[in-house]
Amino acid sequence: MRYETVIGLEVHVELATKSKIFCSCSAHSYGSEPNDHVCPACCGMPGMLPVVNKRVVDYGMKAGLMLNCHINRTTTFDKKSYYYPDLPAAYQTTQWFAPVAVNGLVEIETKEGKKNIRIKQIHMEEDAGKLVHDIREDTTHVDFNRTSVPLIEIVSQPDLSSAEEVEAYLERLKSLLRFAKVAECEMAHGTMRCDVNLSVRPEGSDKLGVRTEMKNMNSIEAIKRAIEYETARHIDAIENGTEVLVQETRRWDDIKGKSYAMRTKETAGDYRYFPDPNVMPVVIDDEWFDSIKESLPEFPEVKRERYAGEYGLGEYDAERLTQSIALCECFEGAYAVCKNAKDAANWMISDIMRILNNKQMTYDMLSLDGATLGKLILLVTDGKVSRANGKKILEAMFEDSSIDPESYAKENDFIISNDTGLVDKVVKEVIAADPKSVADFKGGKEKALMALFGKCMKELKGNCDPQTLRSILIDAVNKA
Amino acid sequence: MDRETLRKLEMLNQLSLTEEQKESVISFFEKRDSELEILNAIDTSNVERMVHVLPIMTVVREDEVIKTFSREDLQKDAPETDEGYWCVPRVVE
Repeated sequence: MRYETVIGLEVHVELATKSKIFCSCSAHSYGSEPNDHVCPACCGMPGMLPVVNKRVVDYGMKAGLMLNCHINRTTTFDKKSYYYPDLPAAYQTTQWFAPVAVNGLVEIETKEGKKNIRIKQIHMEEDAGKLVHDIREDTTHVDFNRTSVPLIEIVSQPDLSSAEEVEAYLERLKSLLRFAKVAECEMAHGTMRCDVNLSVRPEGSDKLGVRTEMKNMNSIEAIKRAIEYETARHIDAIENGTEVLVQETRRWDDIKGKSYAMRTKETAGDYRYFPDPNVMPVVIDDEWFDSIKESLPEFPEVKRERYAGEYGLGEYDAERLTQSIALCECFEGAYAVCKNAKDAANWMISDIMRILNNKQMTYDMLSLDGATLGKLILLVTDGKVSRANGKKILEAMFEDSSIDPESYAKENDFIISNDTGLVDKVVKEVIAADPKSVADFKGGKEKALMALFGKCMKELKGNCDPQTLRSILIDAVNKA
Repeated sequence: MDRETLRKLEMLNQLSLTEEQKESVISFFEKRDSELEILNAIDTSNVERMVHVLPIMTVVREDEVIKTFSREDLQKDAPETDEGYWCVPRVVE
């Protein structure tokens, strides 16, 4: 019998806010001492009252709109009972009855073509703290720095049917949320985590099989391996009766390549959700809603088409540039100044992306001002600075964002001289000092000219139009 | 309300009821259930959900980082701390 896998994902994404969801503590504790960013509110002390961070709602709405959701204009927070020391209030403040966004749709590319994945809901909630078990044998150490860091949880319908589709879906979520600048979505940094709900059923059946959940998966490769393993385990259980499948939460061990039962799956009733009496409903009025709608970016594929159509870029260049909103913004800023899309794309792809890769920076970390890049491109296309020296200026701009390309070129003698007298003088000196290369060239060795050319360019510090130098040099060598 | 549901509720609420109390709880919920059925029979499909009993909404704050408490102040009354961490009885085996 043939089987199909039915997968639904719950994706947790850490929102890129400065402060936590319900208090003013910093949401960024990387490299901090334990419990350095905590207050009575995020430590769950009695009497504390949460105050909602507006930007969390902004980002929740933005994420919802990017994923084609309906936005609940009155959205509420609820308490989810949960006894574990990583959330000291003994409940998580989350959204159950009226989440910020519902009923969305995400289109992914699959081998068989485009496929729509339905989004059940997006809710806003607080993250839990960190527990450390290996400092002492008798205790668990608790760090609340991450407690109340804002998250959204994106819950899909069980519309995915393979590891490849899950990968395409996660990549699509990442791309959309990064374009909207609501989240970093970096699995390796823990800013995107994923719970995989999976069941197996005979192909064509409309009845769902027994579902298991694997929690806190943090790499796409591990997710793919886990899906393949779980699918095989479910089929084996159904076909060969190797085990009785039960609805449960499982832990994936990526090193052993196996999943292990953790606990029987909780149902909603176990959490005893109830409206949080400490947080009043969040009411999104028209002004607020419209301001978020207006702030949405162009979708990546719309940009891609525009770059190809309006700017005449090739499909490959357009694809590469639209990998990141930071690349797009820099490119568009540069184009606005230099008015040459192909040149701007060329600088972005062959120079800026190379520098970012060398510095081991992600494309989203690019902070170069597009207009300044545009000025640099103009210096080169107008023949004022050589391409080679232009690259040096670009490297310097990465180190110091206040650099003005033209001033920097002047300070460093990078401006190409129109003084052919100087070029003549340098060529004569170089020829006189290297009679062997001159003889070699005359004897038919083309390469010898390149050696002379290089020496002249070095003497001129690169500040000469290559064509001009070449013609003066050939003239002079032939006369020598 | 059946015995299995009651057993689950006992566990969730950390209760241990006597046989007599169990009977009393079950008969209480049976009565409530029949009352709820009356309410459930009302067609509310066109009624907007009431999110709060009062016409009230939350205030929001701007996304600014303000440090309000030091770790030392917060941990002053903790039974045990170590290297900046709160310590609790071990939760994993």
